[in-house]
Formats: sequence, C-alpha cells, structure tokens
Amino acid sequence: MLMMRDIRKVYRTDLIETHALSDFSLHVRTGEFVAVMGPSGSGKTTFLNVAGLLDTFDAGTYELDGKDVSRLSDDEMSRFRNRKIGFVFQSFNLIPDLDVFDNVDVPLRYRGLPASERKARIEKALEQVGLSSRARHLPSQLSGGQQQRVAIARVLAGDPRLILADEPTGNLDSLMTREILDLLEEINGRGTTIVMVTHSPECATRAHRQIHLLDGKVVDLDAPPSLARAPEAVPAVG
Amino acid sequence: MLLYHVRIALKSLRRTPGLSAVILGGIALGIGVAALFSTVRHSMAKDPIPGKSDVLHWVRLDNWDPARAHPNVDGISPQLTYRDAMEIMKTDIPARQTAMFKANLYVFPDSKVARPKRTLIRLCFADFFPMFELPFKYGSGWDRKADQGPEPVVVLDEETNDLLFGGTNSVGKSVRIEDREFRVVGVLDTWRPSIKFYDITQNPIQPPEQVFMPFNFVRPMQIRTAGNTDGWKTSGGPGFEGFLASDHNWIQFWAELPDAATRQRYVDFLKAYVTEQKKAGRFPRPLRVEVTPVMAWMDSQGVTPPQVTAVWVVSLLFLAVCALNLMGLLLAKFLARAPEIGVRRALGASRRDVFVQHVVESELVGLLGGVLGVLLALGGVAVVNGWAKTAINRGDLFRFDGAMVLAAAGLSLAAGLVAGLYPAWRVCRIPPAVHLKLQ
Repeated sequence: MLMMRDIRKVYRTDLIETHALSDFSLHVRTGEFVAVMGPSGSGKTTFLNVAGLLDTFDAGTYELDGKDVSRLSDDEMSRFRNRKIGFVFQSFNLIPDLDVFDNVDVPLRYRGLPASERKARIEKALEQVGLSSRARHLPSQLSGGQQQRVAIARVLAGDPRLILADEPTGNLDSLMTREILDLLEEINGRGTTIVMVTHSPECATRAHRQIHLLDGKVVDLDAPPSLARAPEAVPAVG
Repeated sequence: MLLYHVRIALKSLRRTPGLSAVILGGIALGIGVAALFSTVRHSMAKDPIPGKSDVLHWVRLDNWDPARAHPNVDGISPQLTYRDAMEIMKTDIPARQTAMFKANLYVFPDSKVARPKRTLIRLCFADFFPMFELPFKYGSGWDRKADQGPEPVVVLDEETNDLLFGGTNSVGKSVRIEDREFRVVGVLDTWRPSIKFYDITQNPIQPPEQVFMPFNFVRPMQIRTAGNTDGWKTSGGPGFEGFLASDHNWIQFWAELPDAATRQRYVDFLKAYVTEQKKAGRFPRPLRVEVTPVMAWMDSQGVTPPQVTAVWVVSLLFLAVCALNLMGLLLAKFLARAPEIGVRRALGASRRDVFVQHVVESELVGLLGGVLGVLLALGGVAVVNGWAKTAINRGDLFRFDGAMVLAAAGLSLAAGLVAGLYPAWRVCRIPPAVHLKLQ
C-alpha cells in the first residue's frame, strides 16, 4: 500500500537546515494497522505529511497504492488525497461553520459526486459512527469524542484505501479513546490500511505493529504480522 | 459547485458580522459614489434618441465676418438666418426637416382658472414631432399642410394641458396665445429628456417648451426669439421685416438624412446654395457647411461639461481605493482562515478549488456591497434632483435607469474581482500541511 524508499526532507531557512526525514524507508502493506511512535521532533508529523501528499520531499521514491507519487502535480496530489487517503487529526479539524452533515460532505463535494450519492454515503457513514441523530448539529454542540467520530465519518464517506491518523486520541479521555480505537480497529477489520501516529504506548498496542522514529529515521521496526486477509508480497524494507 | 461556494461565502460573512459590515460598508460607499456620478454623467452624455441619432443632423452655414471666425468652439455659428432657413426648407432632399426657434408668449387660460401666463413656445414645422419622436397622450402633431397656411393649431405639453383644461382631452378645444385663438391638435405625454438635445444653443438642461405652434406664424405675429441672436454686421433694414431679411443668426435647423447618399446630396445642395449666395455678395468667408449628427453635435458643443467628467473619473478612482482597501481586509480575513483551508486541501480541494471559493466570496461581497451602493446612489440622485428642482426646475434631470443598474452591477463585480484576486491567489498557495495542527 505504502512504500517509501530513502525519502529525504529538509527544511531550510537562511541560517539553518533541518533534516526532518533522512534516508527514510518504510513499507506498509494493504490492510495493515501500523502505529508510528517517537519523541517530539523525531519526524512523525513530517512523515505523515509526506505520506498524505500534504508536503513534498527532496529525494527518494514513494509509491502509494501501486502508483509512483513522487512527481505528481499539485492537482494530481489533491485528486489522489481526495480519492485514496483519509485523515484523522488530533484536533478533529472539523469546519466550525458547517454542521455534521456538511462536514462529512466536504471531501465528497471535491470529488464531484451527485447529490443523491453524497447523501447516501453521508447517511451511511454517520450511521456507522452512531451519529445519525446529530447530522444537523454544529461541531461546537458535540463532545470531543463525538467530534472525532464525525471526523472518522468524513473519512468513511470517502471510502479511502489508506487512513492517516495523527494522534487521533490525543485530546480525548480514556473512555473516548477506547471508543475511537475500537472504531479504527473495526474500519481496519474491513480492509482499510491505517497508519496512526501516537505518543501513547497503550494506543500503539492496538496496532498490528509499531514503528519507532528518531531524528527522521526508522530506528525500530516490528516484523510485519501475518494478516487475516491474503497478504501481498512484502518487499524488503530499506 | 458554484452554489456550494456561494453558500460557504455566506457562512463566512455571517461568521464575522462586524468585519463583514465594515467590508460591505466600504464597498457600498465606493459603489454608491461611483454610481451617483456615473448617473450624473450618463444623464448628460447618453444618446438622447437611440436609433435616430445617426440620421438627425444639425445644419449650419458659415455666413460670418470675413475678418474673423465665429466665436463658437468650432468657428461657425450654431444657427442660421431666417432667410437662409426658409430657402433651405424648400428642398425635398431630407426625409424630414424643420427650422425652429423658441419664443416667450402670453397664453391666456380661462380667466376663472388662472391669470395669463408667459409661456415658452417652440415654433417649428410639422416634421418636428416625428423627427424627435415626441410621445402623444391625446391627438397628434399637425400636418405639413398646416405649416403652409399657417393654420392656427398648437400642441400642448401635459403640464399646460393640466393648467388650461384640467388634464382632460383638449383636442379640438381653443386656446388663446397673445391675440389669436389656436385649436389644440395634440397633447404630449410626459416628455422630459435630460438634455434638450434638439436645441442646445442655450442651457442644454432646460426642460422642453410647453407649447408648440407652426413656424410660419413668425411673420404674421412678428414673433421674436427668446433664444440667442448673433450677427457681425448691421443689415436688413428697419423693423421686423428688416430683422427677417438680415444676416443675423437665430434659427435652429435639423434635417433627417436616412443614408450616406442622401446626406451627400444634401451637403451638395447646401454648397450650391451658398455658392449662389456668394455671387450676391453674401457668405464672404471660405465656403463651409456643416451637417452634424446628434451625438457629434452635442460632443462638439461640450454638452457634458469637463468638470462632470472629471468628477466622474475621481469617483471611479475613489471606488478603486475602496477596492484596494477591501483587498487588505479580505487578505487578512482569508489568511485568518488558513487552518480551514488546510483542512479542505487535505480533504481533496485543489488550489483551483480554493482560489475559486475565495473569488466567489469576493464577488459576493462586491455584489452585496453593490446593492447597498445602489441604494446610496439612489438617495444621492434624489438629493441632486432635489437641488436641480430648486435651482432650475428640473426635478427629473438625473435618472438611475436600466443602463445604470447594469453599470453598477459591472462596477460591483469589477471591484469584487480587483479586491479578491490577490487574496484568493495568496490563500490558494498556502501549503496545506502548515496550518493543520493549528485548527
């Protein structure tokens, strides 16, 4: 699903160069649930931005869902994000003016789907996260856990191949954290690949394997587990 | 998708009501001022008779002093002598033509209703009414036969008909002008061109005359002009007949020339006439005849004062300043929304999507501000017309017509575009990852 080889990402100012990712290589198979851990500044967010085509990189190759995405134009990256990738953020990133229904609608709008199909997808996604009755509520009228479930519904409505979650339980209490992780596990169980950045070892244990980053490199890599579904070939991770 | 962008833009305006009010107020002020002065200029500079302005021609012959040109802007008198006008009237080359002038005569209402009243009267030929497309409420103009007699017929304007006959259909009724009785053949419907384009030899924003009567009453009633008379030598002899025979210019003259060939034939005719007159010792200057269409005639005589154009240009510059100010406000507003833009980009919005969304918001601001601006402009036009009513009895001089509505809409869209392009371009270039953590 996700294959990065020797990725390098350098942030430059007039005075300083920061190597956020250097010779970063990682392979995540289709259907995996991977937890990415590491201290602040280790490159987790940069990795997530590059993996989600939200940021470019300076060197290396990146294949996503079998396509080389190293040289995509901005438009192509937008289209790829819209159709293949779903994002779950720590701070939910719902649009405050839009109600739950319209928030879930946002990625579908950019996909250009007809209204009837959008409506069907949104209603199904809200039902999956148990928020059908809150469709016309504003985010500010929901609890943190509910907001995160709306964000997950937004992902589900788009039916992505890959979900990138950036500390999805970071702003939630332990009960809500469990709910969200259960939901992510359930989604993963249906075959969607999930890469989750987290600081929490407890959360990380819910993943199939854990990856540790330090100074922009993978320093500790669990062996890929055997998956319930037919696994694809596992190339060597460089 | 456009409706979606409009909905998002409306939500954005509602999110920051204070800032939105400042933004809309600024653009409304700019549009209001620009629309007001555009209306003032438009009322003076617009084509007063669309569809016919190219075929109606103002006729002039240069009969002036051989030693110096006429002081008019283009060196030729704007009017003709009576004797030349009468000679030119004899040709049948134009489809229609009329000599004319205005006079100030007493009209005698029923003594029980009102006292005799000095009234501006235009003496003209029958062709005047169809040439200038005067609208009739009752009856019509007189026919060419009535010109010859002349028959004692008149056309009244609506206001005079109200005064004399209480607004009823007065066709066939009698009205006394000076010492003669005239029969009413027509009553005009409301006809108040902003510019009195058929006679701009004096104040071009005067209202039209109130009564119209056959030109040929000039001689039997010895009617003098209430307009300008210019001359460069004493001639013609004593008395009124002497004045009619003189080289004084006081008659306005229009010819309707429907095509270029007719126009050329008419110019040739005028040149032949002047050449003939030169043999009799008249027209001492080099031969010059001018046959000028309506708009060119108005332009050449400076009907739209340069000050009006200058103020109009300043008002457009003021709108540009408002748009630039709006640009700054929109830039600040859009940049403050960078985290939301980051989310939309993450969810699949392309740069183009973000750009279009923000341009639509700018245009919406422009249009909403334009609506408010039009209301301001309407108030301004009412104030200016109120002043004109007091100063020159023209309460309807400036009109915010359909063309001005379109112009205001165009200005609003242009202002929205000018103000929004750069902020929209800036926010669509924001890297999506930068602000996601800030949401």
